[in-house]
Amino acid sequence: MILKTKEEDGVIIAEIQIKEANLVLAEQFKKELLDLINMGKNHIVLDFRNVEYVDSSFLGSMVSSLKMAIANKSDMAVIHLNKDIEDLFNLTRLNKVFNIYPNKRMAVMAANKF
Amino acid sequence: MLNGDKKTILLVDDNHLVLEIMDRALSREGFKCFKADSALKGINLLKQQLPDIILSDYEMPEMNGFEFREHLMKDTSLKHIPFIFLTSMTDTSLMARGYELEAVDYILKETPVPVVVSKITNLLHAVSLQHQQSIKELSSVAQALNLRSVPQEAPKLKGFVINFWHKPYQDYPGGDFVDFIVVNPRYTCVILGDVMGKRWGAWFFSFSFLSYIRAAVRLCVFEGEFSTAAILNKINRVVMHDPVLNEVLSTLSMMMIDVEEQSINYAGAGDLPVLYYKKEDESLTTIKSTGLLLGIFEDGSYTENTLKLNSGDELMLITDGIIDFEDKQGKITDYNRFPDTIGHLLGTENSFDRIMKHSFIINKSIEQIDDCSIIHIRKESIL
Repeated sequence: MILKTKEEDGVIIAEIQIKEANLVLAEQFKKELLDLINMGKNHIVLDFRNVEYVDSSFLGSMVSSLKMAIANKSDMAVIHLNKDIEDLFNLTRLNKVFNIYPNKRMAVMAANKF
Repeated sequence: MLNGDKKTILLVDDNHLVLEIMDRALSREGFKCFKADSALKGINLLKQQLPDIILSDYEMPEMNGFEFREHLMKDTSLKHIPFIFLTSMTDTSLMARGYELEAVDYILKETPVPVVVSKITNLLHAVSLQHQQSIKELSSVAQALNLRSVPQEAPKLKGFVINFWHKPYQDYPGGDFVDFIVVNPRYTCVILGDVMGKRWGAWFFSFSFLSYIRAAVRLCVFEGEFSTAAILNKINRVVMHDPVLNEVLSTLSMMMIDVEEQSINYAGAGDLPVLYYKKEDESLTTIKSTGLLLGIFEDGSYTENTLKLNSGDELMLITDGIIDFEDKQGKITDYNRFPDTIGHLLGTENSFDRIMKHSFIINKSIEQIDDCSIIHIRKESIL
């Protein structure tokens, strides 16, 4: 399993348990994420604390899962991005696509406002 | 040598001494080994990294070597990794069962290490040859069908010198695409895109995107629409409604060069900032587009910039392969490293050729971890 999940205040915190998020793992990651979405989980927070590098295939999986989440009326946020990854999100405007929060507390608070 | 250049081996054996001996011997020969003292741990390691070859013991508690192999055979991403049984068993019936499971070979643990190394090297060489042959065949079919995601040369325009460089990931055709659409004598559309993903999947979809882009550019121009933001908007809407492309995302930088006005109209979709060198004050800045990746939302927030360049000014469009690096600590993304390294070459005579000869680009060709593409535009005097 790539995602280690737990539920807090109605929000699923899914910790990505890999250091290098790349093409090889993108499909498996998407499958696990879609399983969560299909289970009807409305608020999903992806925790990047372990991730040091993300390639474009993995970002592609994230975005297509987000599209699926939106279609299912779910929302998805990301937390604990390292500086390089946050820069990449800003450079490619993915900061406008995903809700980015510094930590779990902020993400859970924001999710419960929806 | 970086880990990325070394062939990797997954060693699976419940005997720690065997693991250690094999690791040391194979590491000395230039292989990078990952060790697992059980098949289950091996399966976990495979979730994080795919090795070039797997060497596994047969007799192990919990899950033996055959069961491990059977497990891998059920997984399409793992079944093709060459698998060798490393065992002290010599029973021919066991060996026969192993071959049924498409184990490529057996190596007895008593085999001298140099022989083990040469067996592995030969096997990897054979696999690599087969691989190259397949790529060659596919590439020749693509060529026969005239499928190109990168043109052979850039057009020559009055007042603008255009150059480009493209290096596919590990020499596989990939997701980056480049095009120069000479719409009419006045307008030429410069395209640089990157379909997310690598290798054949991304390469295949790059044609779908390119077809839409070419069609949208032509249709817009027929209707008198030369705004790059409006063209991107149209492409995005088409992509959003195409079920085949529904899960495929692409970046796009689009520049419409107007040779009559000597101006460039630029809009981008999730693309990296364009480097802008101004000759007048020798400054190097970036131009950031506002649009989202193609195919995310109906409203991609595309806006455009019209650039009035002066003679000697230069623009560089790049894809993300240029900003990904690998060092001993692992992989990182760093946008600034490229301008910081080659920025001093902008503004010099034949700057593009100099950049191409710079160690940054030479190293990118060798150690790259994704498709790499650059389009370079220099404004020239028209007098």
